[in-house]
Amino acid sequence: MADLKKLHEAVVNGDAKTAKAVTEAALADGVEPLKLVQEYMMPAMAEVGRRFECSEYFVPELLLAARAMKTALELVRPLLTATGAQPVGRVAIGTVKGDLHDIGKNLVAAMLEGGGYEIIDLGVNVTPEQFITAVKEKGANIVAMSALLTTTLPSMKTTVDALKQAGVREQVKILVGGAPVTQKYADDIGADGFSESAAGAVAAAKKAVGA
Amino acid sequence: MPIAVYPGLALTGAKVIDIVTNPQVQFETQLALHERYRTPFVLSAMDLSAEAEAFGCAIHQTETEIPSVVGRLVTNREQAGKLSVPQPGDQRTAVYLETVRRLRQLPDQPLVIGGCIGPFSLAARLVGVSEAMEMTVSEPDLMHLLLEKCASFLTAYLHKFRQAGADGVIMAEPTAGLMSPRAMSQFSSAYIKPIGGAMADQRFAIILHNCAAKLLHLPAVLETGLKTFHFGAPMDMAVALDKVPADVVLCGNLDPVRVFVHLSPAEINLRVRALLAATSAHRNFVLSSGCDLPATVPLASLDAFYAASKQS
Repeated sequence: MADLKKLHEAVVNGDAKTAKAVTEAALADGVEPLKLVQEYMMPAMAEVGRRFECSEYFVPELLLAARAMKTALELVRPLLTATGAQPVGRVAIGTVKGDLHDIGKNLVAAMLEGGGYEIIDLGVNVTPEQFITAVKEKGANIVAMSALLTTTLPSMKTTVDALKQAGVREQVKILVGGAPVTQKYADDIGADGFSESAAGAVAAAKKAVGA
Repeated sequence: MPIAVYPGLALTGAKVIDIVTNPQVQFETQLALHERYRTPFVLSAMDLSAEAEAFGCAIHQTETEIPSVVGRLVTNREQAGKLSVPQPGDQRTAVYLETVRRLRQLPDQPLVIGGCIGPFSLAARLVGVSEAMEMTVSEPDLMHLLLEKCASFLTAYLHKFRQAGADGVIMAEPTAGLMSPRAMSQFSSAYIKPIGGAMADQRFAIILHNCAAKLLHLPAVLETGLKTFHFGAPMDMAVALDKVPADVVLCGNLDPVRVFVHLSPAEINLRVRALLAATSAHRNFVLSSGCDLPATVPLASLDAFYAASKQS
């Protein structure tokens, strides 16, 4: 029988190879896929987030842990879909139009995926229309926007306004973050949540959706 | 000593693209600020894409944004091995060298400070920043191979800045601040130390800027052997000053956006005075912004900053 604690360890340690091997063994043993996600992978990423917040872990460790979890999730996801299990939420995430910086966005995506959210990663320089398409066609119920430049901040408001005009604003919760973003700015543009850190994004998402 | 060149656009009417491509425009933009605030120093603009472009990276450029690197120039060890080291003056690095030459001609002879990227931040732009983070663990040899080339280029570049008349450079190494102190030591400080050593007899100051570094990074930063450091908002400046020797100068660290863009002049006044009060026990502190000030910083903010620093 697979030692499932090793899956938790492998994610925390950023060991994608072991995460994959243990997950394969566990699935072969008949362990429920949802159990693997909820009792081992998600708590592992929560631990990674805790370590990141208290500066025991840094960006490399967080990204490697996310990669280990993603490797394991790729084995589990088709089985979850087959059972009809739903993610906690579907997040369309991107760096806004005009901005090409992606590391903050990547960190938030990693933490949200670790928190049980399905990620629709739109990349960088994302137009309002691309966010709208993700909502309408891929069922995103959270729109998460990142910006690193003061000059691209206005694209966040433009996107919020575009979501309203497209008639989908009420279907989604909007989260914003990035170096120039403040709680006040988030409030001013009508965002539902703001986080100063990647690890805080999970809490912000939970609060926004009322989970 | 705020890192301020781009806000000078408000005085000259230039665009960012002009500053980063035309040394005369960059010179005039900095001169406008120098004359307004009677600063004892002048700077070339901070642009963390110029060196990567010289290596061959693709650049995204608009009229209003500092250029940024797009894509990945190096994706594997073979490419890293074959990568050629450019010459100082290649591509837009020539703009910054020429700007320094023009600043050196100013009749009031201010200190002239050039600007360059740090070795790890440069290497990260060659492979992709997120990828570089992972590769410090998964492919450290590839990172070290690139770092050798980056450090080689930067050493030559600093020599050219010296020849152009610079009294020093601000070396921006923000990406290293995203790593653990141990990783910073291995992948950044270990490469900066010999660069500093190569310039040691040149009467040339390297001001190491790291706007992501926190207090726990301080020992790794000091391993560079440099004597002047410029930090961003994450650094507890008062505590850092207690920890460094008296002959090490720390500069910083008012947040460029949350203070200079978002706050009113009156609030900026209070922040300046608070920071100066918190650091008043130390003579080795230089009040500054926490990073490069973007073009969107209102002149009123800079006016308030300088007025408050003079009052104090």
